[in-house]
Amino acid sequence: MPVRIFVLMIGLIASALPQAPAAPPQPSTTQMVLKGKAPVSNDILKVKLPRPQEVDLPNGLHLMVLEDHRLPQVTFTLMIPGAGGYLDPPDKIGLASYTASLMREGTKTRTSPQISEALETMAATLNVGSGLSGTTATISGGSLSENFDKLMDLTAEVLLSPSFDPGEWDRFKTRTKAGLIQQRTNPGFLASETFNRVVFGSHPAGRISPTAANLDAITPEALAEFHRTHYAPDHAAIAFAGDISLADARKLVEAKLGGWKKAGVAKPSVTDPDLMGPPKVYLIARPGSVQTTLYVGTQSFRRTDPDYAALTVVNRVLGGTMGRLFRHLREEKGYTYGIGSGFSATLYRGSWTSSTSVRTDVTEPALTDLLAEIAELRDKPVPENELADAKRAIVGSFARDLESPQQVLGYYIDNWTYGLPADYWDTYPARITAVSAAQAQAAAQKYWAPSRLQIVAVGDATKVTDILRKKGTLEVFDADGNPMK
Amino acid sequence: MKRLCAVGLVVALGVGAAPLRKIQFTDTKLKNGLRVIISEDHAAPVFSIVVNYNVGSRDERKGRTGFAHLFEHMMFKGSENVGQNEHPYLMFMNGGTMNGTTSKDRTMYYETLPANQLDLALFLEADRMRSLTITKDNLDNQRNAVQEERRLAVDNQPYGKTFEAIDELAYENFAYEHSVIGSMADLSAASVDDVAGFFKMYYAPNNAVVAIVGDVDPKTALAKVEKYFGGIAAQPAPPKIDLTEPAQKEERRLTLEDGLARLSRLDMAYKIPPGVSSDRDSLSVLGTILSGGRSSRFYESIVRQKQLSAGVGAGTDGSVGPGLFNVSGTALPGKTLKELEEAIDQEIDRLKTAPIADWEIEKARTGARRSFVAGLGSSINRAVQLSEDALFYNDPDRINTRADRIAKVTAADVQRVANQYLVKTNRSVVWTVPKPPAAGRGGQ
Repeated sequence: MPVRIFVLMIGLIASALPQAPAAPPQPSTTQMVLKGKAPVSNDILKVKLPRPQEVDLPNGLHLMVLEDHRLPQVTFTLMIPGAGGYLDPPDKIGLASYTASLMREGTKTRTSPQISEALETMAATLNVGSGLSGTTATISGGSLSENFDKLMDLTAEVLLSPSFDPGEWDRFKTRTKAGLIQQRTNPGFLASETFNRVVFGSHPAGRISPTAANLDAITPEALAEFHRTHYAPDHAAIAFAGDISLADARKLVEAKLGGWKKAGVAKPSVTDPDLMGPPKVYLIARPGSVQTTLYVGTQSFRRTDPDYAALTVVNRVLGGTMGRLFRHLREEKGYTYGIGSGFSATLYRGSWTSSTSVRTDVTEPALTDLLAEIAELRDKPVPENELADAKRAIVGSFARDLESPQQVLGYYIDNWTYGLPADYWDTYPARITAVSAAQAQAAAQKYWAPSRLQIVAVGDATKVTDILRKKGTLEVFDADGNPMK
Repeated sequence: MKRLCAVGLVVALGVGAAPLRKIQFTDTKLKNGLRVIISEDHAAPVFSIVVNYNVGSRDERKGRTGFAHLFEHMMFKGSENVGQNEHPYLMFMNGGTMNGTTSKDRTMYYETLPANQLDLALFLEADRMRSLTITKDNLDNQRNAVQEERRLAVDNQPYGKTFEAIDELAYENFAYEHSVIGSMADLSAASVDDVAGFFKMYYAPNNAVVAIVGDVDPKTALAKVEKYFGGIAAQPAPPKIDLTEPAQKEERRLTLEDGLARLSRLDMAYKIPPGVSSDRDSLSVLGTILSGGRSSRFYESIVRQKQLSAGVGAGTDGSVGPGLFNVSGTALPGKTLKELEEAIDQEIDRLKTAPIADWEIEKARTGARRSFVAGLGSSINRAVQLSEDALFYNDPDRINTRADRIAKVTAADVQRVANQYLVKTNRSVVWTVPKPPAAGRGGQ
């Protein structure tokens, strides 16, 4: 199998940097004691991360194959830039997402139940989806090897000849509207809805959910038109992982998707969201809530930003598993069951968020401590041992991804999506390893500056309004998003 | 150390399909009673380990509900040679992942790590089995975390209390009647003595199974297990819990109001036999026919045609003892729970009498094959199944026979179990209806 490989040095960090000695300096929060008696291996584990084979097809489609015959199954992902929700007209938010959903609800030759029956009888999956913010729609699926040819027949039908039947659209609308009601009972949904609006404003990245009015404004004709004009192969890619060779994948794509012709459309361009307004505190009143759900966050950067490695490392220290937030707010204080932080970075600037749910009566100390942990990373460099541990955690988890060819292929799909260099993952461990305490602190100071941090809370307004007012200019909304007061 | 069996390689055929690879493993019992299952697989440079203890919420007594799960949290708080939270910290900082989970029937701890960290995992697991640190500070601290977990998962969620109500209504035997998470009052009452007694009785090598799957040499791995766990003393076998349920004679019904919900929800639970019964396989196929995917009867009839619900689920739980076949769904706005319940009953009646299509049976068979193949791609999935089948059924090879067992189920079997178990006198029904918030609780 002519697959190029590279060698990833798991444990390289461990050998290059001081390993936890018998009496290590303690991390900055209590509730953790490292006795240092457990036998940690510092051997260099050589991990070969396979690379997919890639080729461009005449209709513009980019083909990627990660051949792996360990199991008799194949999965695929087809990515279509230009068919994502980023392209939704402002009065038809959800158009791209619903076009994708309806493609699976009937074709020129098969009804929705016939498609379901064909797929499920062979235990195959086939999903068409588009978010509200990204530029790309995705068709993905998988099956046992013996059924994969038939799965690609169905995929071609769904991609090339969906029927957008008005009856199916009506049914879909009814179900979807129930979901729009149901999601407003979820505190996490309410928090993200306001958080995204505050951080991204009117940029497509700010969209969390369409409204019932959006749904009513969309017709089957609009869905068909969006499909006709946006589902082009010109800038698309199809990636296969599993029990299939490049030659077989190419034959399959040519045979099944041969009718998908180049349309001469331009590659979609994107702009960054506007800079955020001044930091404020937003409260969504949720009567009867026994917890307060807290989001503290801000805008991040594009996927290709040079700060990516530094923010990855300092975020791991703060809000990664067993990081400072977990050790302090859960293990030391017992405020919460779960807490963490993370960030997104795409073709345009994404967001960084730390979040948790705490019982109502500790809302004030929990928010104070959360902000203090962020401040600590701005104000003081991370101790060398803690920094080395965080970096080893990031690099070490690569070995586990090797269990799944889909997971490995996912890294290379990122390369294609964001135009990362071909050797990006070869050099990734070294880039993470190279992040210094000063660089980590600089990233914390740049992205987590107090002037950038927005606070969103969902909880019982009768109990937490006065507390939140102490943290900044407060705006209060009800669970349907209407301003209160 | 006695070698119980070594399972050979390659066989197992589905109907007209390619043969499935058989999972090979060794099955050994140490002198102290610890059962050790090792399955070698060099596909990726990682391994998973599961330590599964034969204790769950079914073993709790009245007044101490939630204790098995609270105890699970204590297992991360340190032991003789491992500091407080050092175990999870070392796992994650060395590229691993880990967690613990408690059910009615077992408490399971698991890790997945790069292949060179086998000693680390075994050392940490053995040290806490031998010498858990039990202090009041640790207990109070984890009591807070667990009470917060309860708020997050139950008290602050729409339908959170429904999940508890359905078991309380369906079961008469206390063992399965109460929830795994337990009550706030019982969690508050748990003492250090409770923790120590529980540890001694249940966290003994003879009450546990260790399963290791992945990039290991079985002989070396077994020698290391012996090295780390061999010196831990066996304890008297814990008391066996009586799980039997009296036969249900009539339908039970309950209506709940829920201040956090906006849509009404229907839950129905039918009593079914214990996990070891072959009827469970037929009930599994039945669940696939009723609610597996969008080609299922519930979806096509109730969701797509009648538009009464956005989704109706049905299936058996994973209990070892007497189980429940659960059916649940929310009613769409403007539709009533009565309409939804009648539509579900119609589909269940149709299943009992009208023919089942060949493709519906085929769908269940292929589904079992694909899930077996998908499971082969994950070492943790295999370690969990091997350990549970050893713990619950004394038969780790069940992982290799499930697809065949499902393939043997016929349309007649499905109709027989539908007629036997899915009857009104054998069910408990909970209606959950939204309760508008009390006036004046809204905000300012």
